[in-house]
Formats: sequence, structure tokens, C-alpha cells
Amino acid sequence: MNRLSQLALSDEGFVFDPQTGDSFQVSETGMAVLRALKEGRSDEETAQQLVADFEVSLEEARRDCTDFRGQLKNFGLA
Amino acid sequence: MKDLAIGVSGINAVDNPGPGVGVARSLKEAEDLNARIIGLAYDAMEPGIYMDWVVDRSFIMPYPSGDGAAYFDRLAFIRDQQGLDVLIPNLDAELPLYLKRVGELKDMGIATFLPSMEQFKLRGKDKLAEVAERMDIKLPKTKVCTSLDQLIAAVDELGLPVMVKGSFYKAYAAYTTTQAVSHFHALVAEWGYPVIVQSIVSGEELNVIGVGDGAGGSLGIVGIKKISVTALGKIWTGVTIKHRPMLDAANRFIRELKWRGPFELECIVKGDDVYLIEINPRFPAWVYFATGVGVNLPARLVRHALGVDQPLAPDYEAGKLFVRYSYELVTDMVKFQQAVTRGEVG
Amino acid sequence: MKRPYEKPVINKLRSGLMNKFGWSPAYARKVRTAIDGVSVDELCGQFGSPLFVYSERTARRTYRQMFNAFSTRYPNVEFGWSYKTNYLQAICALMHQEGSIAEVVSAMEYDKARLLGIPGEKIIFNGPHKPMAALEKAVVEGAVVNVDNLDEIVDLETVAKKLNRTVHVGMRLNLDAGIYPQWSRFGFNLESGQALDAAKRIARGGRLKLNGLHCHIGTFIMDPQAYAREITKMVKFGYELREAFGFEMESYDIGGGFPSKSRLKGVYLPPEVAIPGIDEFAEAITHAFSEALKPGDFPKLIIESGRAVIDEAGYLITSIVAAKRLADGTRAYVADGGVNLLFTAFWYKFNVELDREVGGINETSVIYGPLCMNIDAIDEGIQLPPLKRGTRLIFSPVGAYNNTQWLQFIEYRPNVVLVTESGEVEIIREAEDITDIQRRERLPKHLELKNGK
Ligand SMILES: Cc1ncc(COP(=O)(O)O)c(C=O)c1O
Repeated sequence: MNRLSQLALSDEGFVFDPQTGDSFQVSETGMAVLRALKEGRSDEETAQQLVADFEVSLEEARRDCTDFRGQLKNFGLA
Repeated sequence: MKDLAIGVSGINAVDNPGPGVGVARSLKEAEDLNARIIGLAYDAMEPGIYMDWVVDRSFIMPYPSGDGAAYFDRLAFIRDQQGLDVLIPNLDAELPLYLKRVGELKDMGIATFLPSMEQFKLRGKDKLAEVAERMDIKLPKTKVCTSLDQLIAAVDELGLPVMVKGSFYKAYAAYTTTQAVSHFHALVAEWGYPVIVQSIVSGEELNVIGVGDGAGGSLGIVGIKKISVTALGKIWTGVTIKHRPMLDAANRFIRELKWRGPFELECIVKGDDVYLIEINPRFPAWVYFATGVGVNLPARLVRHALGVDQPLAPDYEAGKLFVRYSYELVTDMVKFQQAVTRGEVG
Repeated sequence: MKRPYEKPVINKLRSGLMNKFGWSPAYARKVRTAIDGVSVDELCGQFGSPLFVYSERTARRTYRQMFNAFSTRYPNVEFGWSYKTNYLQAICALMHQEGSIAEVVSAMEYDKARLLGIPGEKIIFNGPHKPMAALEKAVVEGAVVNVDNLDEIVDLETVAKKLNRTVHVGMRLNLDAGIYPQWSRFGFNLESGQALDAAKRIARGGRLKLNGLHCHIGTFIMDPQAYAREITKMVKFGYELREAFGFEMESYDIGGGFPSKSRLKGVYLPPEVAIPGIDEFAEAITHAFSEALKPGDFPKLIIESGRAVIDEAGYLITSIVAAKRLADGTRAYVADGGVNLLFTAFWYKFNVELDREVGGINETSVIYGPLCMNIDAIDEGIQLPPLKRGTRLIFSPVGAYNNTQWLQFIEYRPNVVLVTESGEVEIIREAEDITDIQRRERLPKHLELKNGK
């Protein structure tokens, strides 16, 4: 089951996990990545989305997506 | 009086409560002040943030251990947005910052009523001997330690059990040298040097709360005894008392040191002998006890700070009971979210 | 239009750490794009990274502030520049230009001062190890020698005998000024009577005359009253010596030890709040000094401040060479300079500034240096936004004790530059290369490798 799909995301960067009761603070780009992952997009698609929306190179975006996913795993969210 | 915006910190009414909620509640009860309470919090989970009948609006503050400039920028922001007529800082860790920059607060149009830097230093646990002498009361044998060797030597000299205390906060009883050593390490890690070792005096633990006017006069004092305390040593039930030697010592403290602002004296009393354990240069968490027996010290402090005339300090009755209790409130996540993302609530 | 990018961050909210300002760029982050008007980019572009940068303006201003604090309160004050704190020639020369004499604690430092052109009589020679040759040279050249121990008294008498004249010396004391740990391994203890015995010994020997007392109660002393206690005891002892042996004290040297505006690990309060200003020290010292002295006596007051004079004038610019995640998810950065260059990292929590604005929320991060050892961590818990490789971290204050205690271990030591008062940038110590490392080595013939074998 996709744990991410259950998360409640607010526009202010506040994320609540109704299953565990954990709350998170997420940066603006973090929210963009989280939304993309929640919709089931791949890391590559997510990185490309970042490149389309933000001033960032594909290389940096890829690296950051990998890192971010690592963090989600770390928090038991992915 | 027009409505008064009063900043109050220490609204962490948890199992080791800060004094802020008691201060705020006292101010709210002084109807002449028409107080609007601005809570200054350091964590989104401080209960005061959610107690909207006591604290009208709350702001998350940068830590006072950080850059003082950021702290004062934040105060200026709050003043511009909400008004800030008076400020009552209630946490030990904030006081040095406020004392150092008290002139700036004044320039910002924010009134305070705090001890001077010299007075603040006197209350340091390594200076208590001098104060006890000026108050003409006793002090348990005390050693100031800045190394493990000294700690062990001090424990040897004083004999077990001893109290091991941090320079700012926290005190632990140690019944073995090993315990003393582990408390020492914990205290140094959290609060730095020095660490104070004190022999334990047996007797009744009595406390006094008061406010000095800075010229040797008293704005009121109340003596209490803690009947029961929590596992953390915080008062749970208490009773007002009138132990003459202790109250006299408290008045000497105000007079001799020309103490300015709030204070709490922690004493141990054995017959007529009074031992000084600790001076807190701020209100204690149980400040509302005094208010409840008719001596509203926070309100009296605010009036005095603003130069408003008020009658002499009222007396109180011995034998009034204080019962702390737990109670819950339920609210939704929105306030929490605001505290986290915006740093302000209300 | 594309929006500016900041790296994605997710922080779990934990009770006790839910402070917006722990994470907020506006409050927690400091940016430094230039040092005394010279851009950090330009500095690194020209001189590389890591790079030590000194501000001549700050150094001179701090020195003058300190000197004035004392000289406006007492008519006879002399500063001795503590070489060990920073003996880069340019820094010493700057201090000497400001009027400081030299305070050295070894033969090497003595040679350094002489090479800079400082005459012997403007050198104070302290320390527990003064080799015979150095001692003799110092006496011949008229340096102020502060005796550390009984064996040195014997050595000095030997020198005096050889020169066939009376030699004036000072005596290093250690005493209880309420400071812990007490630096009792240097000099003679006052309270136990050791110092008086030594004076007796000197008087009995007949070849030496005591004309000064010296003491140094420790470093990073935060209590002005400790110095008041120190000097009161010294002066009282000085009069005892006059009474007992007719020794006239011409100077009282109270050492150094004043704190700089840096943050010691384990100290909760910020230095701006915790550390008394130099005027508080000067007031306590000169007040106690005047109280202790007999009317009409104005012996020289010597101060050997090191740290407080130079620390804030020094910066170390480093660059992030890698970003990683530790096993527990903590963000870690590897910088190109670490404890090999910043010896004081063992005690200080430095002020860390970024060379640019970086958006996004902060994470608790660790900064490691380049060494292959676990101890090489400059900061083990700092709130930083996610940083890109190449971002520069500027550490301060680092002017005291780093350029003298830095390590050779595995890396080359970098350029050290001075931003002059007129805004020029001068190299004051060139970056090392392999020749610096190898020059003193000899490879025995039979160990020479042929064709790399
Ligand atoms: C004899 C003496 N003088 C002066 C100093 C300079 O001390 P600081 O840098 O703390 O001022 C030292 C430092 O160890 C010292 O040993």
C-alpha cells in the first residue's frame, strides 16, 4: 500500500500522517516532490517536474530526489 | 486604563511548569490592567499557546541562546504588530539576554521590571555565601566545582548524600559518589560549568515569593510550604505560612540588596534557623498561589513598572491551601500547524 | 516563470524541537559575502580554499580598544604580545607597530621576535623550558626573564657568574584567584610559601635581583574579579619582598587570559551576553591595583593578552566538497578544512556563516573536515539549509591559537592572507606544497626505490 497516499498535506508545508500521528514540516520543493510521489510518479519524472518548475539543473534535481526519498524511507513513509 | 499588551514567556505549563501561565492568569484577574497577554513560546507544544482564555496571542521566539539580534528583531516585530507595553520574562535562561539589553527594550518603548546585572550575578549559586551573609541567614556547606577531581573532593569533604546542582537549572540528590559523578556529567553537558555541590540539610522546605521595588521596599511577599511535590520536585499541593524568621530574612533580602523585580527564595527551616538554598530572580511556577491569597504580585509589578499608584502590599492569611490539578483541553491541529509554519497563533 | 530553487527538505516534528526559528532562514542563518569589503568569492578565486583571512582593521581596532581600556585607567601600562597565540610575522609586526613588546615562551619564539627586529629589552621571556643557551642570550640582550622553577634559578646564577654581574629577573607565580583549574604547574606557588622560599633562595645566592612579578591565571577567564584577586595578592607579595629582601618591584605582569567573543562548547548563553566587556576587566584590575599599591607607587602594569586581541580578526573560509547522509538520516557535510586547521574547534562552537543566501528550511547538520579520523568534526549539530557542493562556510573567530597549533597531518596548510586597512589583500603565509613537507627528510641510499619498485 502506498503510505504516501494517506498523508494530509497543507499548503503551508505541514504534513500529518493519520496512521502514526507524526507531523512533518516540508519545504516548498519538498511538497512538490511529495505530491509527485503521491501521484505515483517515478523519481525521474519527479526530477523533470522540478526542472520544469524551478531554476535547477536535471543533475541536481535527480540527486536531491534520491536524497529526499531516502529521508522519506528514514521516516517510514516510503 | 487602556488595554495593556503584556508579553509573558514561560507558558510551558507542563509537568515541570514555567511560571508564564500563572503570571498571565494573575494579570488577567487584575481588571484595572485590562491586560492582553502575548505569550512568548519556544516550542509549538507549549500548552499556554492553546489556552486562549489566558493567553490571547502567542509567538514562537528564537532561542535566547542564539543571536540576541534575532531575538530583539522578533520582539520589535511583535511590538509593531500587537503592541507590547510591558514584558515579563519568566525563564532563567532568558534573563541574561534581557538584562544586558534592558536599555534597548526601553528605547523600544517596552517596560520591564528586572533585577540589575549585579543583582542577577549575586544570585548565582557560586555567590550564595555572600548573599546569605547579607541576609543574615545560614547556607548549607557549598562547594563550587569546575572539574571532576574537585567534585569528588567536594563529595568527600561534605559527606553523602549531597545535592549536585547546575549553574542555571536542575538539582539532583546523590546518595553515592557514582551518582554524583553521573549528575555532574549530565549537568556539565547541558549547562556548562560550574557545578555546585551542597550538603543536604534536613528540615522543612519553605519558600518565599516576592517583588522588590529596587529601592529597598517590598511590593509584597508570601511564604509557603510545599506539602507534596511531583517526581520532578515541583509543588503539587501547598499551604501559606508565616514563619517569621524566614519572612524577616526575605525582607532583609529586599532591603539589603535593594532587590528589583520578582524573586523566589528557597529555604530550609529547622526551628528558627533558616538556610538559603536558592534564589530565583523571577517568579516561581506557583506564582498564582500568591494571587489566590490576595497578593497579586505580577499585577503589582506591572503597576509599579508603569508608575501607577497602588496601595501598600496587602497581607495574607496563613493556612490557605494550594491544590494543583490536571485538566485537559481538546482542540484541532490548526493551531499547532500555525505555530509550526507561521510561528504565531491566535 | 521558473521559481528559485531550494533543495527539498522534510523534518519530523519532535516535541521540544518545534521552534520555527530553529528552521527559519531569516533568523538562524548568517550570510557573509565579504571580509572587510573584499568578496569571499574573489578571495578564494585568487588564493584558493581553504583560506585564512585576517582583518588588519579589526586587529588594530581591538588592540587599541584594549590598550585604551587600561591606559586610560592607569598611567603605566605595557602590552606584551603573546607570540604563542599567533606568531605569524605579519601579525606580530602589526602588534609591535601598535606599541606592544614581545612575550615569548620558548627559544623558538625568542628567535622569532629577534628576527623581526625586536631588541632583547623589549622581550619578556616566560615558560618552563628555557635552554641554557637561550637563557644566556636573553640575559645578555637584556630581556625580561621570568623564572619558572628552582633549577632555572641555578641556571640564571650560572649565567650571572659567567657574565660577572648582577642579573635582574622576574618571578612567575601561581596563586589561587578563584579560577579552576589553577595553573599550578607554572612558577612558584604563592599561598604555600613556595614563592617566598624561592625569593629567599635568590636573595641568598646574591647574584640575582627580583624586580618583577608575573602570573597568568588561565585562559578564557570570564570573571573580572579573578584578576582583581590576582593582582591584589601579587602586590601584597611584592611589598613583602621589599620588606624582607629589599627587592623593588618595577613591574607586575598579570598575564593574559581575557576571553574573546567566541562561544565555548557547553556554555549556553551567547558570547555577547555571557562575556564581560574589556572595560569591566580593566576597571576591576586597575581598581584593585590602585587599592593595593602604596601612595605614590606606580609600577608598570604588564598585560600579555593573546586571544582577546587577535581572535576576532581571523576567519577561515572553507568549501563544501561533499554532502552526505549519515545512517540515522542526519545531514553531513565534508569541508576542505577541519580540526587540522582549527585546533580551537575542540573548545569552541564557531560562528558559521554562508557565502550566499540559501533558501529552504533548516536541518540539523554536521560539518566534518577532510581528515580520515573521527575526531575531525567542526560542528556536530548546526541548523543549516541544505547546501550545495561548493558552498563556502566561513568560520570565526579563529585568529587565536589556530595558526600556531594547526596540524600537518595529511593535508597542506593553506594560504593565510591579510586584508589591509586600505583594502589590499596580502599573502602573509604561503600555502605549503610537497617541498615543505619533504625538505628536512633524508632517504637512506638503500631505501631508494628503483623504477617504483
Ligand atoms: C604566560 C602566558 N601569557 C599569556 C598568555 C596568553 O593567554 P591568552 O591568549 O588567554 O590571553 C598565555 C597563554 O597560555 C601564557 O601562558
